[in-house]
This record gives sequence, C-alpha cells and structure tokens, in this order.
Amino acid sequence: MDPDGVAKAFVDHYYTTFDTNRAALVGLYQEGSMLTFEGSKFMGAAAITGKLTSLPFAACKHQVTTIDCQPSGPAGGMLVFVSGALQVGEGEHPLKFSQMFHLMPVGPGNFYVQNDMFRLNYG
Amino acid sequence: MDPDAVAKAFVEHYYRTFDTNRAALVGLYQEASMLTFEGHKFQGPAAIAGKLGSLPFQQCEHQIVTVDCQPSGPTGGMLVFVSGSIRTGPEEHPIKFSQVCNPAPPRSGSSPLLSLVGVRLILIACSPR
Repeated sequence: MDPDGVAKAFVDHYYTTFDTNRAALVGLYQEGSMLTFEGSKFMGAAAITGKLTSLPFAACKHQVTTIDCQPSGPAGGMLVFVSGALQVGEGEHPLKFSQMFHLMPVGPGNFYVQNDMFRLNYG
Repeated sequence: MDPDAVAKAFVEHYYRTFDTNRAALVGLYQEASMLTFEGHKFQGPAAIAGKLGSLPFQQCEHQIVTVDCQPSGPTGGMLVFVSGSIRTGPEEHPIKFSQVCNPAPPRSGSSPLLSLVGVRLILIACSPR
C-alpha cells in the first residue's frame, strides 16, 4: 500500500475507534507514546487513554478535511497531519481541529502512535 | 536548554527568517528535507525555498499562537506543532494556519541552535476563514 493509502487507512481507523469505542484507543499507543492535548502532556497508553476517555462529552464525531503524510526517517515511521472538525453533540457547532501523529511500525503492516499532538483551531 | 525552550527558539528563528529574509530559508533545509504545502510536495532546499520564495505576496508577518513539541524518537529529533496566523499585507485579513516541523539533530561541528534548525520535514495546512 502506498504511504498516502496507509495514512488514510490509519486516520480512518483512529477516528472510527475514537468515535465508537474510545477505550479501545489504548491499543494504538505504547508505553513510550506521548500525547500533547491542548498543551497538556501525557505519556504512555494508560495515561493517554485516560485523558481521551475523560473528555467532557459522551459522544463525538470527527470529520476529516485534509490528510498529509511524509516518511519520518529510516526506521519506517510516518508523520501524518490531519485537519478537520469535531462534533461533540447534537446541535453543537463543530469545533475545528488540527492533529499530528507520528506513527511507528510494529509488526507487518501495523503502526502505533509514538507522538500525538492535538489543537483546536478557534475561528 | 530544555526542549520547549529549544522549540520556541527554533520557531521564532524560522518565522523571523520567513518574514524578513525569505530566501535565507534555504539554509534551514537539507537534501532529504520535504515540504508539503497545501497538499503539494517539494523536496530539497532548492525546491522548497523556490516554492516559499514564489508565494504570491511580497511581505508577510506570522503571528504564533501555540507551539507544542515532543521528542521524535531515539535519533534525537523533535516534532514541533505550531498554530497561528499569517498576514500577507497591511490591508489583508490574517489567514489562520497550522504547521508541523521535524527539526533534525545537529551535525557535528555546528553551533547548537542553528544546527537544530536543520529542518527535515514540514507539513502545512492553511485554514481560510
């Protein structure tokens, strides 16, 4: 699969998991993974998933507008840069966001999130 | 210098160079550097500086709102995630943007700050209002 196809497949899988089974995100991070969420830092799959599952909304839907990717170096990693909108409930205005993932390969054809940075983009 | 301070110094240096001496950006990239600008891809200092130098505005000013950074892995690189706005003329509305940079670790013999701005990869997405 070409890198752009891999990036799109990962992004689809990540946000589908986020939107339908948020606790399962724990499987996409490892002990050395890092998340910076609106400036707050978390390390490791447990702390990261703890933050994401404690966000103040029960239901949400991500809509992805752009996905850019580049290889990150000889280890086979990928940088994936996403912009889109997040709807956090019926009738709420969608919130624009940008998010950066640094994916590292693990096993054939699989990636985990080594670095994750998320920012809302205020209009 | 702590990583957050290094990232902030890098970001200030990068955008100051962009805003005051755009051609000098060529010195911040290496042959393996890649730029994805609004979906278009460029590789190497000449192509990247060529793209940035040919953007359709003579002057610009970046205002940075947020800078987030994380170490990118065992090779010692950093990931820097910036959001802000760019004004391309005194009468123009600012355009919001987000940008990711992956500064590479210093080559031996280089000074500590400038070598960290040997930028390897940049992704940029502009969000018009």
